[in-house]
Amino acid sequence: MAGRVPIYGTGPSGRQAPATQASFRALERGHLHEIHAAAPDRAAALAFALSHGASQAVSQGMGAQAGAIFALRATRRQRLPTLFSGDGLALLGIDPGRLTLVETGSEVEMLRAGLEAARCPGVSMVLMESEGRFADYDLTASRRLVLAAEASGVTILLLRGDAEQRSSGAQTRWSIRSAPSVPLEADAPGLPAVEAELLRCRSGPAGGRWLLSWDAEHGCFRDRDAGERDGQPSVPGAVVPFSRLRTDAGSDSQRQVA
Amino acid sequence: MQAATASDRSPDAEPAPFALVARVGNALRLASVDRIACRQGLAAGMTLADARARCPTLVTHPADPPADARELDRLLEAMRHFTPMVALDAPDGLILDISGCTHLFGGAQALARQARAMAGYASRPGFGTNAMAARALARHGRADGDIHALPVVALDLDDGALAALRRAGLRSIGDLARRPMGMIAARFGEQAVTRLRQILGEAPSPIAPRRPSAPIRAEARFPEPIARTEDVMDVIEDLLGQAARQMEARKLGGRRFVIRLLRSDGARQGLAIETGQPVRDPAAVLRLLRERIDTMADPLDPGFGFDAVLLAVPRVEPLVERQQAMEGEEARAGEESIVALIDRLGIRLGPDKVRRLQPRDRHIPESAQAFIPATQAKAHPWPATSHHAPRPLLLFDPPQPVAVIAGVPDGPPQRFRWRDQLHEVRLAEGPERIAAEWWRRRDGHQPGGAGRTRDYYRIEDKDGRRYWMFRHGLFGEESDIGWYLHGLFA
Repeated sequence: MAGRVPIYGTGPSGRQAPATQASFRALERGHLHEIHAAAPDRAAALAFALSHGASQAVSQGMGAQAGAIFALRATRRQRLPTLFSGDGLALLGIDPGRLTLVETGSEVEMLRAGLEAARCPGVSMVLMESEGRFADYDLTASRRLVLAAEASGVTILLLRGDAEQRSSGAQTRWSIRSAPSVPLEADAPGLPAVEAELLRCRSGPAGGRWLLSWDAEHGCFRDRDAGERDGQPSVPGAVVPFSRLRTDAGSDSQRQVA
Repeated sequence: MQAATASDRSPDAEPAPFALVARVGNALRLASVDRIACRQGLAAGMTLADARARCPTLVTHPADPPADARELDRLLEAMRHFTPMVALDAPDGLILDISGCTHLFGGAQALARQARAMAGYASRPGFGTNAMAARALARHGRADGDIHALPVVALDLDDGALAALRRAGLRSIGDLARRPMGMIAARFGEQAVTRLRQILGEAPSPIAPRRPSAPIRAEARFPEPIARTEDVMDVIEDLLGQAARQMEARKLGGRRFVIRLLRSDGARQGLAIETGQPVRDPAAVLRLLRERIDTMADPLDPGFGFDAVLLAVPRVEPLVERQQAMEGEEARAGEESIVALIDRLGIRLGPDKVRRLQPRDRHIPESAQAFIPATQAKAHPWPATSHHAPRPLLLFDPPQPVAVIAGVPDGPPQRFRWRDQLHEVRLAEGPERIAAEWWRRRDGHQPGGAGRTRDYYRIEDKDGRRYWMFRHGLFGEESDIGWYLHGLFA
């Protein structure tokens, strides 16, 4: 199940200083990322999205107050009626006070509100939840979001539940599933675990697959296989956060979609 | 002429005697009584035990002086309908200077009748040529309004002076007025003379009316009607600038802005916006107004043009100019932009669509948090979650019923069927028992009256998905035990 390219390493390696590896750069700041998940895996996908967006805001020294998260959803499109639980958010290390929940009547309104939030400099993350087809999300809409994210440095995450992949200007596209956890004593379910598959990456190799489990000590998701690899000699450049592999792929975005 | 009104708090429709009680020292005493209680011999100051002995059907409620004061403030504002000069006579009176206002309402008596009807409480009016006389008549007078017949209590002196007056055989103001003032001053104090002269109208008794603060408004009238929306917006921006200068001088910021557009054919159109924080920056308000215009069902219809544009700021709050700080400027600008964003989204989508999570001190998981409109939410630290078992990230609202097969009646589920799919349970932990909040139910302390206990299990199925599931009810006590899915763990 381990990926071909690890996205996270625990030890210092190669050119990269240890500091740059302190956070998991799977969802780079100031970009649009898509996360695909089936309806029952929504909690896993949200945990993946929120924990990464949140840890980045804190690691960049923005403080808890400035790291506002706007979570948007179109009310009518919800098949499973769910609410965020403040206690659950707190367990993932996210102060529920940072979260502002916005409910819109339609998906067009959601895109519009999300775009507006993305242009707001105080916001650290915009999380849009959609289910199903989401016909209004096309290349133009995604490109608008990308431009807004690049201009303001806001991370935009689009959660697509039960949806087909569609060409877009997103930086990365992930598929998230719940993974079996490592049982605690007495056969109790363990800490959160997700299986992340990188379906597309605009500036790097796609197709990696990682099994991430929650690290309660550091409050973030970690590659479960990374520890095993510690003993092996590390190849320079291989244990590099995703963002470092970036090439200049700005111009050929049209070609690289899907 | 002056009129004073002493009001008490009596819901007239209530057939049972009613009183407000307050703790004085170690005893509960009646703070005020209504008309029925008064007729049955109860009076303010009586202990509650005595009152109950006399009148077992007495309905009581704890007195709340701050709420009374707020209500009196509201009445004071309402009384401006009759006269601009209204003064507070704490704790339960109002003094209205109705000189020159009576003819508008058909005489002093008619004015008093209307004022009392508007106040909606049982009240006693008193009329006098000066404020002190009116006040004394309202509080202590008889129907005929004779100042000289007032008891000496009306002077509002301290107990010692009053006792001395009674010992001297002086029972009414009239008795006192016949004595030389010098003698009164020597025996009962300077204050007795001052009060007496005020009531008799020999000394001035000024009132301190509360002045209404001038409303913040601006208007523009045009010699020729204007029709283009952009022109109208330019005018509105100019008016907002004027209003901002007025508010700046008084250190205020607006929470609600109302624009009225008067069309040349007589039709009127209104626009109103509300903000989450007091603002006076014209650009910010203008942005919200544009937002409002964009979301209106029928856009601004100028017809043959607008004749005038009126701006009013009916709701204001203190807003102090902040000094430019050296540090943290960026963070504060970010916060301000977030507040502005929440305002914009709230105006477009409705304020209850933009919400924040707030903790509540409850045990039942779905009640332990509330979604509050973001404009009203206050920053609360979230309570520590370490004292109970982990909670899921997402809660189902309402909980989803599932069919469950458990190994033993009290044990965790072995497999369950949800949305036509069978899930095999791989790992399970529990139960975490959350009892019903019996103290919130009327018969909660009786057996079976508290509602059902929930046994929560954290389970993981063969696919690696983690659920939060509960059994609603206890085996052996309730008959139809249901299972519900209440949340999804990451």
